[in-house]
Amino acid sequence: MFFLIDEYFPIFLLLLVSIGLACIILGASYFLGIQRPDTEKTSVYECGFDPYEDSRNKFDVRFYLIAILFIVFDLEALFLFPWAVSLSQIGSMGFWTMMDFLFELTIGFVYVWKIGALEWE
Amino acid sequence: MDFLLLNLIYPRLDVVEIFNLNLYMDFSLLHQNFFKMFLPEVFLATSILILTLYASLVATSKKLGYPLLMKSLGKISLLVLLLTLLIVNNNSINFMIVYQNTFIFDLLTSNVKQILLAATIFCLIISEDTLVRQQINNFEYFILILCAILGLMLLVSSYDMISLYLAIELQSLCLYVLAASKKNSSFSTEAGLKYFILGSFSSALLLFGISVLYGCTGTTNFDNFYLLFSGIDRETFLLTAPVEKALIFIAAAFFFKIAAAPFHMWSPDVYEGSPTSSTIFFAVIPKIALFAVFLRLFQTIFSSFEETFLFALIFFSISSVIVGSFVALRQKKLKRLLAYSSISHVGYMLLAFSANSLEGTQSLFFYLIVYMITSVCIWSVVLSLNTTTNMERSKTLIDLASVSNFNPMLGFTAMLAFFSLAGVPPLVGFFAKMEIFVSALGSSLFFASLIAILSSVISSYYYIRLIKTMYFEKREDNSFVFSVTYPCAFAMGLASFFLLYLFLNPTLLLLLTQKMALCLF
Repeated sequence: MFFLIDEYFPIFLLLLVSIGLACIILGASYFLGIQRPDTEKTSVYECGFDPYEDSRNKFDVRFYLIAILFIVFDLEALFLFPWAVSLSQIGSMGFWTMMDFLFELTIGFVYVWKIGALEWE
Repeated sequence: MDFLLLNLIYPRLDVVEIFNLNLYMDFSLLHQNFFKMFLPEVFLATSILILTLYASLVATSKKLGYPLLMKSLGKISLLVLLLTLLIVNNNSINFMIVYQNTFIFDLLTSNVKQILLAATIFCLIISEDTLVRQQINNFEYFILILCAILGLMLLVSSYDMISLYLAIELQSLCLYVLAASKKNSSFSTEAGLKYFILGSFSSALLLFGISVLYGCTGTTNFDNFYLLFSGIDRETFLLTAPVEKALIFIAAAFFFKIAAAPFHMWSPDVYEGSPTSSTIFFAVIPKIALFAVFLRLFQTIFSSFEETFLFALIFFSISSVIVGSFVALRQKKLKRLLAYSSISHVGYMLLAFSANSLEGTQSLFFYLIVYMITSVCIWSVVLSLNTTTNMERSKTLIDLASVSNFNPMLGFTAMLAFFSLAGVPPLVGFFAKMEIFVSALGSSLFFASLIAILSSVISSYYYIRLIKTMYFEKREDNSFVFSVTYPCAFAMGLASFFLLYLFLNPTLLLLLTQKMALCLF
C-alpha cells in the first residue's frame, strides 16, 4: 500500500488545498460581503429564459448549434495546451500534425461561417 | 502465393519494426514509406476538404445565384471514389504496419477497400435520380458519404483500439446525419435520432470494453495484444476473467453495429425512416468493413479466447436467422422487409464467423460479396418501381404487383435477385449459402446449422411470395409507370450477370476470398 501513498500523496494534497480554498472563498464572500437581496439577484440565471416555466416549451434549435460549435473550438484549445507544452520533445512530426489539425479545423470554420450558422438573425 | 510468404516472413514481429515511427526521424524520409500506403486515404481526405471549401463558397455565393450543387458534386464524388479505387488498386506493397502500429495494410485491407469503393460507386449512381426526386438539396450529402467511406477505409486498416474507435465514430456520425438528411420529414428525423442514440450506446459499450482491456494490460495495440495473449492457457492465466468480459462488451458493440438480433431493433426503423438513397448506403456498404476488422480482432488477435465469444457468436447467429425469417413474414413495406432479410443474412454470416476456420472465413467473405451484389440489384429494383401515384409514399408489396407485365426485364431481374437471396440453385446465392453450411458443419456446429437451414426454408417463403406478387397479381390502379433510369438498368444488368456467371464459374471470387481469409490465419 505504501506505493499508493507515495504516488497519490500530491493528489491528496491538491484535494485538501482545493477543498480548503473553496471553503475560504465561499465563506469569505458569504460572511464579509454586503448582502441586499432582491428578486432579480436571487433568481436563477438561465441565459435569458424564465427558469420557472414549464419545461416542455419549445426553444430555438440555434442554442444547440452554438453549443456544439463552442464545444468544437473549446476542444481545439484543449489539444493546443499539451501540444504547446511538449513542443520541444515531439519534433517536426508533432508540429505538422497540429498544423494539419488547425488547417482542417479552419476549413470547418469557413464552412460554418459561409452557410450562416454563426448568425443569430 | 507471395502473400503466404510475406505472412511467414513478417509474422507481425520485429522485421516490421524498422518501419516504425521514430519521433526524431527525418520527416520527409519517414513519409516516403508511409505516404505510399496512406495515399488513398490522404487523397480522399484532401478531396473532402477541397469539396467542402468549394461547395460552401459556391453554394452561398450571391453573384452565382445560390446554385444547387447536387448534380456537379455527385459527379465529382464519383470521380473521387473512382480515383481512390485506382490508387488502392495500384498499391505495390503487400504488408506493412505504420504509424506506431496504429494502421495495418495487407491484402485483406486493400481488397476490402476496393470492394467498398466499388459498391459505393454503384450505390451513388443508382440513387442519383432518387436524390433529385427526394429534393434533398444539401450539398453536404455527398461530402458526408465521402467522409463515411474515409471512416470505413480507416476502420478496415485500424490496428489499434484508439484508431478502431475513432474510425467507427467517423463513419457512424456520418451515417446518423445521412439518416436524418431529409429535414422536412419527421420519419427521417426519427430515424436519425434513433440511429444516433442506439449507435452511441453501442459505441459506449465498445469504449467500456476497450477501457477494461487497457486497464488489464496497459496497451491498446493489436500487436501487443497478440503477443501478450498468444499461446496462453485460459484456465491458469491471471487476466482471463476481465479480458473475457471486455471481449464480450466489444462483441456486443459489434453485434449492435451489424444489427444482429437481439440487437437489431434499430435497423428496420432506420431503414424505413431514412430517405431511400441513404438506406441503400446503410444496407450495402458498412457491413463488410465491420466484419473485416472484427474478424481480425477475434480470429487473429484474440484467438486464444475463442471459446469466450464462440458461444456469443452462435447465439447471435441463431437468433438473427430466426428473427429475420419469422418477423419478415408479417412485413408489408418493402424497405422494412429488406431490413429483416438483411438481419437473417447477418445471421448466416455470423454462422460462418463462428465456424472459426479458414473455410468459414472464406465463405463469410464470399457470402458478403454476393450479398452486396444482390443488394445493389434489389435496391435498383426498389428504386425503379415509381408510378405516378406512389411517388411520395414508401413502397409496399403492392407496388411490385404485375411488374412482369409492364416491364418483363425488370421483373426477371428482380426474380433472379430474390431467388439468389433465397438460395435457389442456378444462382450464386445457393453457392454462398452452401459454402457457409459446409464450413459450419466442418466445425461441428450441427445444431446451429440445422436451425439456420430450417430458417432458410422459411425465409425463402417470403422471397417467393414477392416473386408471386410480381408475376401473378393484378395491379388495381391505372397509374403510369416511370421508365427505369439508365444507371439503375446498368447496375441491375451487371449485378444479374454476376449472379448467373459466378454460379457457373466462381473461381475468381473464391480465389479473392481465399486470399482475404488467408490474411487472418
